[in-house]
Amino acid sequence: MVPRELLPIIVVLITLYLVVIAFSYWGVHRIKRGVYAKDTEIKRRLYELAILKEIADRTVYSLNIKKILDVIVGSLNQFLEYSVVSYMLLEPSKVVFKADLERSVSISFIKDIRTRMLGSLSALLGRDLSAVEVEETITGAIMMGVTEEPVRSYFNIPLVIGDQLVGVLTVSHTKAGLYKESEMEILYKIVNQASQAVSKLEDVVKTEQGKIAAMLESMLEGVVMTDLDYRVIAANPAAEAVIGYKGEGVPTIFNFIDAFNESLDIRSKLEEAIKLDKVLTINEVIFNNKYYQVVVSPVKSNIGLTRGQTLGGVIILHDVTHEKEAEKMRNDFTSMIVHELRSPLGNIKKIGEMMRSSKILEDKQASSEYVSMLYESSSSMLDLVNDLLDVAKLEAGKFSVEKSSVDIKEILSERMKFFEATARDAGINMNLIVAEGVPNSVSVDAKRITQVLNNLFSNALIYTLKGGTVTAICFLHKKGQTISDEALAVSAPWVSDSMSLDTTILPDSVVVAVTDTGEGITSENIEKLFNKFTQFASSTRDSEHKGTGLGLVIVKGIIDAHGGVVGVGSKLKSGSTFYFTIPL
Amino acid sequence: MEQAEQYKAVMAEIIAKQSIILGPDMAIARAKKVSGIGVNEKGEITEVSGDPAEALKNLIDTYVELSGQIVKNALGPIFTKYPDIKQ
Repeated sequence: MVPRELLPIIVVLITLYLVVIAFSYWGVHRIKRGVYAKDTEIKRRLYELAILKEIADRTVYSLNIKKILDVIVGSLNQFLEYSVVSYMLLEPSKVVFKADLERSVSISFIKDIRTRMLGSLSALLGRDLSAVEVEETITGAIMMGVTEEPVRSYFNIPLVIGDQLVGVLTVSHTKAGLYKESEMEILYKIVNQASQAVSKLEDVVKTEQGKIAAMLESMLEGVVMTDLDYRVIAANPAAEAVIGYKGEGVPTIFNFIDAFNESLDIRSKLEEAIKLDKVLTINEVIFNNKYYQVVVSPVKSNIGLTRGQTLGGVIILHDVTHEKEAEKMRNDFTSMIVHELRSPLGNIKKIGEMMRSSKILEDKQASSEYVSMLYESSSSMLDLVNDLLDVAKLEAGKFSVEKSSVDIKEILSERMKFFEATARDAGINMNLIVAEGVPNSVSVDAKRITQVLNNLFSNALIYTLKGGTVTAICFLHKKGQTISDEALAVSAPWVSDSMSLDTTILPDSVVVAVTDTGEGITSENIEKLFNKFTQFASSTRDSEHKGTGLGLVIVKGIIDAHGGVVGVGSKLKSGSTFYFTIPL
Repeated sequence: MEQAEQYKAVMAEIIAKQSIILGPDMAIARAKKVSGIGVNEKGEITEVSGDPAEALKNLIDTYVELSGQIVKNALGPIFTKYPDIKQ
């Protein structure tokens, strides 16, 4: 028996014991709960890290949001309880809906989820999607008609790539109030990180595509890229211009096939290039009055798993019309030179044949005439050869002048006298105007300036009709004044039409000009006057005034070598003024 | 309608719209965490304490924080109905 007086102490001790036991139990329980919560948190974190790593690995080489979502959907059961996880992706003409069933649900459950997801997308887009075609794929557990459990818990995660809504991910369950905010937020975090990864990769790809597109757009050659089914993936503006395509979007291969029709079978060439795995070059394709060199080549991947694999084909359309024109001009020029040499050579041959006859040699007058003709023909040939040599020197940059102090007025006057006989025979008047102040001594290559004047006088006399006038003019130019005003000031006949050069910037110079009252030159032909090839083309049109057209090319070369300029003014049916300057 | 009531109506409509977009579980859970408003299980606004404009801003921000700017863009039609309330 316990003494009565000890009872309260025993009660207190028992109470204390019970309290300690209760506290210990509560403490252990609390610790257990903490450990469990930590364990759950660690599990979540591990899942989060694992899934983010898998997503990161996939996004390294994939921009396909579908694949990323499949990764999330495929591993979600490690972390969340659900009946169905589904995603819906927006495509241009339809919506792709995929549902993965963790456990059997009814058809109406799927229908309900689909409706809710479409509702979410409609609310985000601000337009009704209920009538849009839905391509449905159901995987996982089988659907059972007998289970009529409705959707009691669900949440949606909008899928956004680069600020654009691409779809929605939905987790749903037949149980009510299942999802805690923290759990939902983790999935939001995972999806957002995946979206950001894809957005970043898309940005990189877009930047690279932009660079390629800019390069393609800036190319003068037409470039058309196709896939293995000959669908046009890209065509630059130059390629569109070749076929005259003005439609919306990228042209199709049929646009190119139709355009080239009989000129080139584009598709066969593409097939051949891809099949034989080699670059084909078609050198001369005439299309729309233009010449093209067409290169058709297979396109191969040089990166990743597809390295070496043929991805499609490329067609390069190189406009070679200008090259062809230049080639024609060169050929025409060669023909002209041959023709110009052939004529005097033919004369020399004929005279030689005749002079072999003793009878001709006995006739002194006839012999003298034939010798003169031989001299003229050989001189003509020599002039042509000299002209060609001068042009060759000019083009090679080896043309030089030997300057000395001479009286340019004297050279001009002497040349006037030389051509006066020719002018008189042609019924053309010749005048000379020399203004006051022209120095008696100017540093020039007298021989070359004589050559220049010969060309200008000879041209003026050729193109001036009987009764017309050729005037030689010499005056001083002061910097800041226009040569035309200065010419008019000395009452010189001056044709300023089509003169484009700003002469006010020229330094103080002596100006020498020849003005005729001839047929004039069109402004279009003025531009061609100093071009070796184009001048020839205009000369040959005029059967009356044959020539190589090299004279003015050489004139310009000589004056350039003196540091001066050559100018032309002309008016049709009125005449022309050719002038040159010699800086003082 | 009184402006305080207008704010309550706008906020209720936002929660309703977000319930369609995100699902009611998430939309209401987020709304409940917003300071300055009381929200019941149905997503209705039970009380607004303090500045209603500030509460509205916080409510929108909580959804933007979760899903980005796209959810804010979807709220445009609601604000057109309440021209006195700035988004």
